[in-house]
Amino acid sequence: MSAAARRAALATTGVLVLLAGAEAVGRAGIAGPSWPPLSEVAAHLLDADRRATVVRAASATLASAAEGLLAGVLVAAAAAFTGLLLPPLRPGLDRLAALLHAVPVIALAPLLITTVGREATPTVVAGLGAGFVMFVAFSSGLSLGGRRSTHDDVFDALGANRVRRLLRLQLPASVPTVLDGLTLAAPAAVLGATIGEWFGAPRGLGVLIVSAMQNFQVTLLWSAAACATALSLAAYGLTTALQRAAVRRMA
Amino acid sequence: MRRALGALAHYWPIAAVFVGWDLWVVLNGYTTVVAPRPGLVLADIAAEPGAYAGDLLRTLLTSLVGLVLGMGVGILAAIAVWSSAAVSGVVTPAALVLRSVPVTAMIPVIARVAGYGDSSILLIIVVVSFFPAFVLTVSGLAATPAAGRDLFGVLGAGRLRTLVRLQLPHAVPHVMVAFRLTAPSAVLAALLAEYLVGTGGLGHLFSTARSYMELERAWGTALLATVVSVLVFVLARGAERRVGARFS
Repeated sequence: MSAAARRAALATTGVLVLLAGAEAVGRAGIAGPSWPPLSEVAAHLLDADRRATVVRAASATLASAAEGLLAGVLVAAAAAFTGLLLPPLRPGLDRLAALLHAVPVIALAPLLITTVGREATPTVVAGLGAGFVMFVAFSSGLSLGGRRSTHDDVFDALGANRVRRLLRLQLPASVPTVLDGLTLAAPAAVLGATIGEWFGAPRGLGVLIVSAMQNFQVTLLWSAAACATALSLAAYGLTTALQRAAVRRMA
Repeated sequence: MRRALGALAHYWPIAAVFVGWDLWVVLNGYTTVVAPRPGLVLADIAAEPGAYAGDLLRTLLTSLVGLVLGMGVGILAAIAVWSSAAVSGVVTPAALVLRSVPVTAMIPVIARVAGYGDSSILLIIVVVSFFPAFVLTVSGLAATPAAGRDLFGVLGAGRLRTLVRLQLPHAVPHVMVAFRLTAPSAVLAALLAEYLVGTGGLGHLFSTARSYMELERAWGTALLATVVSVLVFVLARGAERRVGARFS
């Protein structure tokens, strides 16, 4: 068996053991009535009527997360480009990037509800979560910190201006780092959207999870949590595939 | 003067946040019921620091204890599975799947299973801190250079001695990366869990202030939560750099 096939077999075994373990705990009732066997959760998701609720919530969350991700990427890029073209702003932007990484989005979510409204809050929180990560990625990819390479010297010698240097040198060189950031930003957008939904959005997985918890709807709670995990894994998987493809192309 | 200019170059975004916040409230004509101006929020913190201090300490302490416990268990688990390539090949992907569970989905499930209360909050932080420490320690142990392992083999070192003298020191920078990554998430998890099921802490203070419409208090809590989280991150990053420089 090749190394890759062996690794895949081990990984599959691991995930199967995890699922079987969760099923066994649920059947034996070790963890009480709030830990259902996973087969019941699967049955919940297979039942067309009950699935509809979860799917509706998941598509609302997906829409908020995707819009937020897009907005976050665009704003982060604009902020990083401003820093590149206006050097006096750079030291501050550099420090800002480090700090934004640590801002707890929960502090912002409920404040947004009163200002941007219940409908828009999940999108805005997703955008903030993703945007913070992307700003860090852009600023390190475009080396706002001021590292210089021999390419910079070539561009200097040939008299390139800032805009041309940005388009021809810094932007292409930043692609792998920026896509690296995207693999973190996409799950962060899903997390941000569900955080925004916790605080009173009209629909979405976050709302469904909290109300299922409060109303003791155990299989619904686990189904919605499983869906949120699937969204987050899919976001990570897709962006990782994109990043690998780009690195192969750029290398 | 020069020092003041230097500080301005580095910290202008913080001033910009406060000015922007003030302008945003004034220009939109928001009343204090919608969004208070920063001066009022800072005044509330300055007038009654006691109202915040207890909850602030509680959140910090819970996050710290949970972080240390979770990372400790993660490191021990990594050492336990490291000895066998097959076991770590089985366990690591499962850990990666569990790590992808959004904390917003994890908190309600754990709270439902383990009960509403402070022990659940600690458990949530432990679970959140466990996975990065586990995954990064496994990769740190595996990344020991072959030359070092050969040397230990030639000198007749046993498995235990190789682990303690070679591989664990080699994994230390990886563990510190996990620490830097996890510290802000632990604070975020603590705040979210306190908000939903807590009986104290900044998250709980925030939810009560919001339901009694004490807007200055709510915004003040949010501001302090941000400051705490950023401080924890800066300290963790400093620790990572210092320890990393010592061990590499």
